[in-house]
Amino acid sequence: MPDAGDVDRREVLVQLIDDAPCGIVSTDPDGRIQYLNSTLRKWLGGSPEVELKRFPDFLTGAGQLFYETHMAPMMRLQGFIREISCALDRRDAEPLPVLLSGVVRRNEAGEPTRFDYTIFDASERHAYEEELRVARRNADELAAIIRSSPNAIVRVDAGGRIGSWNAGAERLTGQGLASVLNKPIQDVIRLDARSAWFDEAIRDYAGSGEVVFEAQSALGLDFEVTLTPINEYNPTQTSVNWSVVLRDITQRKRAERHLNVMVGEMKHRVNNTLAVVSGIARQSLPKEHTPRFIARLRALAQAHEALAQSGSSGAELRQVLEFSAQEAGGAERFAVHGPDIWLSPQQSASLSMAFHELVTNGLKYGALSVPEGRVDVTYEWEDAMTSQEADTARRLAITWVESGGPPVAQPTRQGFGTKMIGTVLAAELDAEVTFDYRSTGFRCEIVFAPLTPD
Amino acid sequence: MIERNNVVVSGSPQGRTVVFVHGFGCDQSMWRDVTPAFEADHRVVLYDLTGMGQSDLSAYDVARYDRLDAHAEDLLAILTEIDAHNAVVVGHSVGATIAVLAANEVMTKGTGRIGELILVSPSPCFYTDEEAGYAGGFARRDLEDLVKMLEDNHLGWSMQLAPTIAGQSADEVQADRLTQSFCRTDPGIAQHFGRVTFLGDHRADFEHLAAPSLVLHCDADALVPMTVAEWMRDRVPGTRVHVLNATGHCPHMTVPADVVAAMRDHLGEV
Repeated sequence: MPDAGDVDRREVLVQLIDDAPCGIVSTDPDGRIQYLNSTLRKWLGGSPEVELKRFPDFLTGAGQLFYETHMAPMMRLQGFIREISCALDRRDAEPLPVLLSGVVRRNEAGEPTRFDYTIFDASERHAYEEELRVARRNADELAAIIRSSPNAIVRVDAGGRIGSWNAGAERLTGQGLASVLNKPIQDVIRLDARSAWFDEAIRDYAGSGEVVFEAQSALGLDFEVTLTPINEYNPTQTSVNWSVVLRDITQRKRAERHLNVMVGEMKHRVNNTLAVVSGIARQSLPKEHTPRFIARLRALAQAHEALAQSGSSGAELRQVLEFSAQEAGGAERFAVHGPDIWLSPQQSASLSMAFHELVTNGLKYGALSVPEGRVDVTYEWEDAMTSQEADTARRLAITWVESGGPPVAQPTRQGFGTKMIGTVLAAELDAEVTFDYRSTGFRCEIVFAPLTPD
Repeated sequence: MIERNNVVVSGSPQGRTVVFVHGFGCDQSMWRDVTPAFEADHRVVLYDLTGMGQSDLSAYDVARYDRLDAHAEDLLAILTEIDAHNAVVVGHSVGATIAVLAANEVMTKGTGRIGELILVSPSPCFYTDEEAGYAGGFARRDLEDLVKMLEDNHLGWSMQLAPTIAGQSADEVQADRLTQSFCRTDPGIAQHFGRVTFLGDHRADFEHLAAPSLVLHCDADALVPMTVAEWMRDRVPGTRVHVLNATGHCPHMTVPADVVAAMRDHLGEV
């Protein structure tokens, strides 16, 4: 007979199992339920009919498949299963994610007699793991992008000490992360022989955006360096970290330097050639034509000079007209009105020559041939385009108006100057040129599409 | 090939060759209660499908194993390697489908490697096709959930390899490590193979089965309903359906003696 103490202990054990903070189920080797504790009954929704049911019947469809193909064989082969993630199929609620562990009880002959399972509610853990999985997938993706980047990408702390870097940085420095960890980046990567480039860049930081500069490394490589603060929420981190990206622009810089040398050389050759041509002209042309020809050449040389001063990218229309003003006798006889217009090298060369012809004509026959005569050059964008013209470039109209000169008469034949203006501007600028010989003063209008300003 | 698929040959070298093909979720160890009964008078061949058990996991090329035919090709390569003739191929569940695909190929080419099939709990298609009046037992959605669940068990996987239960002796930990090798599967491969297994439809292959076969069906199979067994009885040429009084999907584990008796009876070896 068990004594009172045994009975008490048994009651405690029964209560412990029946009301345990986990589900407990015991089945025969075929999975038929022998015992189900009340915790599990509660999870399954009230009092499910468990008689003659098999335990896998209370799993979701996927869980049943997994039970039959993996869990049941595992129980028989190795005697237990541990922490299998599956879900209980509940009558009136969403499936409950659970972790399932099981153990096999055997008789003396070693045959399985009972399968016992404990089941833990894993809904919180499940949600957390799902988040982890998503975060890991995203992180893996970003990591792969950074890993395979040809740029050196480095994370440094507020003091510029290296926290991590990618394979691109290893290739650049030839050093592994372990050997540079916590070392100041400005010591590990020397730029422009400046010992404090990182400190200086941080000082330049305006509080938003990024700091970008170009610099040369000790090995003579050129880099575009971008520093950006890493603004991620991290409660344990008190100071800001920086992302430093070094992009190798050595090739581009080399090409730029090469181009500059070439442009200088070209200018030199053009000037030399013009000088030689002037010399030949002086020796070969009849005396009366020589000054005219030399003046035309000089206009061309001036146009080239204007281009040289602004690099090879083009010139301002106002700048081109300034030379004409000087030829005409100064700003009081030659006024220019118009917005800033940027011209391509080709456009500025052609217009220089055209204006030179117009000034020369004006000085010989037109308004500029008398002291009180003057020229007004006005240019402006044409009126808003119709929708049909919308995709063609916007056009500029330059109007050359002479006044105060001798009465003008329609010429009987076209001179070389006007012929040159019409031909060259039409061919090279695709310009429309009109000459108006009204008696109060000669007028010329040139309409073309300049470089789009960008 | 022998090493890649952990091929284990035992029994009588002069006997008829019997090759066992395991199913999804496990490995060759699931045949351990059946094979001893054949070793005295048969050449018994066990192996792990590529990607499962102790096979070379690196050989699992996802693109190639996207079709069960790749596993059938592996089986044929093993039969050639061990020079089997008129072999009995015993396949469980998806292993049965692999056996069917291999047998059809053998009959087309006339190599004579396979003589007949024993299909244990086979299912040509696990999901229901209402249009064709085929009740496979599951909705496609359940099967897709299973594939998802295999991903869930990813995290549990490494934990299972390193048991750290309080109060467990070092010896027990060691024993656990050894036994944990049963049915080990890389989670990524399990997920892929699960998709290929449960979302495949091989009804046409079963309907054109070119080798004689015996189907062993459990009367209380939780995965394959009786309607599927009836479908096979009516549609698969040259087959005999034998219904076992058993619960679950693995009669070779739950009622191995009945499985052995039915096999021997069919092979005329009572």
